[in-house]
Amino acid sequence: MKGNQTSRQDRSLNPAGSRMFSWSRTIQSGLGFLLLVALTACDTTHEKPACCAQPNAVAERADFSDESLYQVESVWTTDTKQRIKLADLQGRPQVVVMFFASCQYACPILVHDLTRIEAALPAELRGKTGFTLVTFDTKRDTPAALAKFRKLRHLPANWTLLHGGDDDVLELAALLGVKYKQEASGQFAHSNLITVLNQRGEIVHQTTGLGQDIQPAVRKLQELLATAHASAK
Amino acid sequence: MKRVHPIAFGLLILAAGAWGGLALAEPTVPTGMVLIHGGTFKPMFRSTADFKEVEVKPFCLDQLPVTNEEFLRFVQANPRWQRSAVKRLFAGATYLKHWAGDLELGPEAPPRAPVTFVSWFAAKAYAQWAGKRLPTTAEWELTAAAGYTNANGELDAEFRRDLLAWYSSAMQPLNHVGSGRTNFWGVSDLHGLVWEWVADFNTSMVTGDARGDTGLDRQLFCGSGSLGARDVSDYAAFMRYGFRSSLKADYCVHNLGFRCAKDL
Repeated sequence: MKGNQTSRQDRSLNPAGSRMFSWSRTIQSGLGFLLLVALTACDTTHEKPACCAQPNAVAERADFSDESLYQVESVWTTDTKQRIKLADLQGRPQVVVMFFASCQYACPILVHDLTRIEAALPAELRGKTGFTLVTFDTKRDTPAALAKFRKLRHLPANWTLLHGGDDDVLELAALLGVKYKQEASGQFAHSNLITVLNQRGEIVHQTTGLGQDIQPAVRKLQELLATAHASAK
Repeated sequence: MKRVHPIAFGLLILAAGAWGGLALAEPTVPTGMVLIHGGTFKPMFRSTADFKEVEVKPFCLDQLPVTNEEFLRFVQANPRWQRSAVKRLFAGATYLKHWAGDLELGPEAPPRAPVTFVSWFAAKAYAQWAGKRLPTTAEWELTAAAGYTNANGELDAEFRRDLLAWYSSAMQPLNHVGSGRTNFWGVSDLHGLVWEWVADFNTSMVTGDARGDTGLDRQLFCGSGSLGARDVSDYAAFMRYGFRSSLKADYCVHNLGFRCAKDL
């Protein structure tokens, strides 16, 4: 391994710099001014924008509890190219899954599990429940690719498909407790986790694994919608 | 413009190149940070499906973990990260529990000791506030793989001995940052003080689509888990992978702190 032999002195210089350093010093005095110009130019061309966006200045929403995922300020793009915050999903329970569209094995089953949940709900509650798919694959699953996925799968309008930035995906996964990793093949290894959020974005139920019993999730949704119905009266 | 002699012009270009190289290597590194030249990180624990190697680009890393004193400045500037104000979603009930108050460190939290009892969200927010970010697992591991005198710690017997001694010893009261020996890159306290959050902690040790999450957790502690390891004798790295994959982003524990990284 090349790095093994690198000595302590070398490492403050990059390889090109260390090779040219000694003789460049001998001519630097005469060309000092021009070098200074070159140096400055070099500096600015290589200077990348600051790595992090400044924290959002948006005021905290007082109407969400300490446990609500809707406090998160990240902005996502839907398959219809709308820019939304998670808080825009409020108002109806959401069944959330993280997935990627080119997934050959687990994700089709996960999405199928969601359609099973939807089908198991009484007809009048189906439209009142949201289903949200968030992709890990920020490179390939563009909003257009997600739109294609929606069409292919015949997903109705109460299904939301989201594309986000790498950091935001990492954060949402952290919030949901989803672990994932891209493999050399481009596929993602990931937890299979179905999360039910209540109308205010709090996690009220999670189902782990593929093709599991969907009844607990269905019961939870019915409960949430019954409570909402009662409190609306 | 007056015509420049071709040879003089060539010399100028070469010299400028050399200067440019130097300018790149040094001035862009912020105070308190160290330039890590990058390299190839070979994940210590991987399945057959994983990348064998990950290229790590040059980046800057804090020389020291973030201290209580520094974190205090952050919460002063960002009241919503004070202990009594923080949202439970972003930090568990033990958040900064060793501090005497919202804005008071107290005897349990020496100013120059690394801050602990901080969640991943809090660490991330601090890094953003500081105009930095958390290092990735690959960046952290690449840096931590260096010994005292060699970029490859495996070839540094003294380093390996110290490392094993720390990972197999019980927790000691926290020292001040910078009390350990700096490594090859000039970074201190990567080992021997506290564990540290990384940006992608939740990408450690995912085993595959077919396994449920419970299987994943159990997998960490069963013997067969180590079969995926590149070098089973690298006990320290194995411990870190196990630790990371057991974490949740709101966890605040006594031996877990962080340091920041920054792109060049």
